[in-house]
Amino acid sequence: MKRFLETGNFAITEGAILAGCRFFCGYPITPATELAEAMSKRLPQEGGVYLQAEDECGAMHVCIGASLGGMKAMTATSGPGYILYADPFGWALGCEMPLVVVNSGRVGPVSGITGAPGQGEFYLTRYPTQGGNFECITLAPNSAQEAMAMVVEAFYLAERFRMPITVLGDQLITDGFEDITVPENEDEMKEMGFRTWPRGSCAGPNFYPFSDDLDIPPVQMGSGAGGLCSDWTPTEQGYDIEEVEAHHKHAYRLIYKVRNHRDLFNHLYEKKYMDDDPDLVVVSYGTPSRVVNTAVDKARSLGMKVGALRLINLWPFPDEHFTRKTKYLTVELNWDGQLVREVQRAAPKDSEVHFLGTCGDLPTIPDLLENFEKLLKNQPLERKGWELEAW
Amino acid sequence: MQYSSATLIDKYLRTRKIPSTACSGCGLGINHKVVVQAIDELGLVPNDIIWGTSIGCAGRQTFATWKGDGFAGTHGRVYAIARGLRIALPPEKKIICTVGDGDAFGIGLMHLIHSARSNCDMTVIVNDNLGYQSTGGQFGFTTPQGAKTDSSPYGMFEHNLMSEGMDVMHILKGAGATFLARHVAMDGQRAVESVKRAILNPGFSLVHMPYPCPTNFASRELGSRNQVNIYRWIKERAKPLEEADENTVWATGVWHDATGSRPEFSEHVWASVNKIRKTGAL
Repeated sequence: MKRFLETGNFAITEGAILAGCRFFCGYPITPATELAEAMSKRLPQEGGVYLQAEDECGAMHVCIGASLGGMKAMTATSGPGYILYADPFGWALGCEMPLVVVNSGRVGPVSGITGAPGQGEFYLTRYPTQGGNFECITLAPNSAQEAMAMVVEAFYLAERFRMPITVLGDQLITDGFEDITVPENEDEMKEMGFRTWPRGSCAGPNFYPFSDDLDIPPVQMGSGAGGLCSDWTPTEQGYDIEEVEAHHKHAYRLIYKVRNHRDLFNHLYEKKYMDDDPDLVVVSYGTPSRVVNTAVDKARSLGMKVGALRLINLWPFPDEHFTRKTKYLTVELNWDGQLVREVQRAAPKDSEVHFLGTCGDLPTIPDLLENFEKLLKNQPLERKGWELEAW
Repeated sequence: MQYSSATLIDKYLRTRKIPSTACSGCGLGINHKVVVQAIDELGLVPNDIIWGTSIGCAGRQTFATWKGDGFAGTHGRVYAIARGLRIALPPEKKIICTVGDGDAFGIGLMHLIHSARSNCDMTVIVNDNLGYQSTGGQFGFTTPQGAKTDSSPYGMFEHNLMSEGMDVMHILKGAGATFLARHVAMDGQRAVESVKRAILNPGFSLVHMPYPCPTNFASRELGSRNQVNIYRWIKERAKPLEEADENTVWATGVWHDATGSRPEFSEHVWASVNKIRKTGAL
C-alpha cells in the first residue's frame, strides 16, 4: 500500500482506476475540475481514455456510449453540471447502462458559491431525471479515503444493478487534502474491503428480463448479434410495441431490482453511541458528519445522552434506522432542510424531528453542543437571523 | 442496378418493423432505402454497422429496423453517444445514424458540431422533413423561409440555417466535417453514390436529405395532403450544386470532401494513449 497526503479528487481517481474504470468524459467545473485533471493524467498511463465534452449533457452521453461499447466509465461534476445530466441519466437508467457519476456539492442555487461546500442535491440524486418509475442508489462518503472506497463500491453496484450510481460528495471532500492509503494489488484491495465486479456483455437482442434479478449483463454494441437499446419501452423483441403492460414490466424492473436487493448496500452507515437508546439522535451525511461525530463525543463527556447516525447510503432511504420514537436532529449543509424531510417521513409519527442547517461553512462544535442541550431540555432552537427551524 | 425493396429488406432489415408506422405518402422510406442500398452496394453486412437513431419521425421509424446492433439516443444526443461508442468499438465497425432535422440542427447541433470537430467516424443521415412533424408540424431550423406551419401561421419569418446566404453545411464544414453532401429524396442513384462515399470516409460524414411530409408540412404549406404536390414542390426547389440559382432552396450533391485530410478521432485518441503509456509523453 502507498500513503499520500492528497485530495479527495486524487483518491476518487485512484479508486476508479482500481475498480477498472478506463474511460472518463467530463467538463470543467469547480470543485470537480481537479478530478478531471487527475483523470487526464492517470488514465492514459493505465491505457484508458480521457475526453472533455462540450457540456455535461454531452459528457455523460459520451460516457454512456463508451459503456455501451463495454468500457467501465465515469463522469464527475458539481450541482450545475449534475442537472445537465438529467437527460443522459434517464437514458442510462432506462437502458440499464452501468456508469459512475460523482457530484461534488457546492452552494446553490444555480452557480451560487463555487468554492464552498453545500448539500443541495440530496433529493436531486434521488430524482436525477424526469418521468419517475425508477429507483436510484446514492453513496455519500465523508472523507477522501472513504470517497475512494465508495467510488470502488459504486462501480461494483453499477455493474451488479446495471445502472448509473451517484457518489455524492462536497467541496471539502473533493478539494480537501487528507492522509490517503491506496492499495496496490488485488490482495490489498480485499484487505481494505474493496470489492469489484467484471463487466458482463449481452450481445442481444433479448436483454430485458422482466424481473428484479441482479447480475444480468448489460447490452453491448458491436457483436452484430442484433443488440438493441433505446429510450423507448423495451420489450422481448428489443423495441417499443406501445403497450402500457410492457412499460409496466420495464418500470417494475427498474424499481424493484433496487428495492429488493438493498442488502447489497444497506450496511453503508455509521452509528455512534446508538446502543443505549439516546435521547437525541443526530443524523447527517458527508462532511458535516465529521463535526457531528466530534460534537457527540464531547456531548457524551458532558453527560448528554446523544447518539450519532451517519448515512452513507442515502437512496433508497434507509428507513430502518428510524424505527425508534425519540428526538432527531439533522445537521445539513443547506438552509432549506432536505434530509430532515426524509427523516420526518421515516420516523414514528409522534417523534420530534429538528433541523440545523449551515451552508458554505461547517457548523461549529460549540454551536452543535448548544443546540443539543436545548433540545434535551425541550427548549426551542435559535438561530441568528433566521426563522426558527423553518423547513 | 435494379433493386427490389424486398431483397434489401430480407438481407438487412427486421421484417417485423417494415413497413414502418410512417404516415401514408411519407418520403422517409425513400431515404431509408437509399441508405440501405448504399450499404448493399458497398458489400457491407449487418454485422459491419451499428445503427443509431434519434427522436421524432426519422428516429422512431428507423429504430430497430436494422438487423444488426442498434440504439436510439435521447433527442439530439445520439452524436455524443456515438462518440463514446466509437472509442470502445473496433475501427472497422461503422456507425450510421439516421436522425431528423430538429435532432441534428436544433437540439443536437452542439453535439453534432463537436462530433465533426473531432472527425469521429460516423455517417449522419439527416432526414429533413422541413420541421417538427411528429409533434404535429412546427417549423424547424431548416424550414424554408415563409413556410406556413402550425407554429408559423403567418409564414416562417425567423432567420434559420437555410436563410439567404446561410447554410448549415458551412457551419459543419467550418467545424471540421470531412464529408458533406445534400440530396433530396428523389435524387435516386446520385444520393446512393454520395451515401456510399459518406460511409467510406473514415471520419465524420453527414448527408442532408430533405424529404416530403404530406401529412403535416404539405397540409399547412400547400393546403393539401396530396403527395404528388409536395414531391413536386421539393423537386422544383432542388438543383445540383453546379446548376443552383437564386430560386434553389436545396443545392444538391457533394458539398465537401476532405476524406483522409486528418486523422479519425478514435484512431487518433488510441494512438495518443498508447504513445503516452509507452513513453510517458506525446
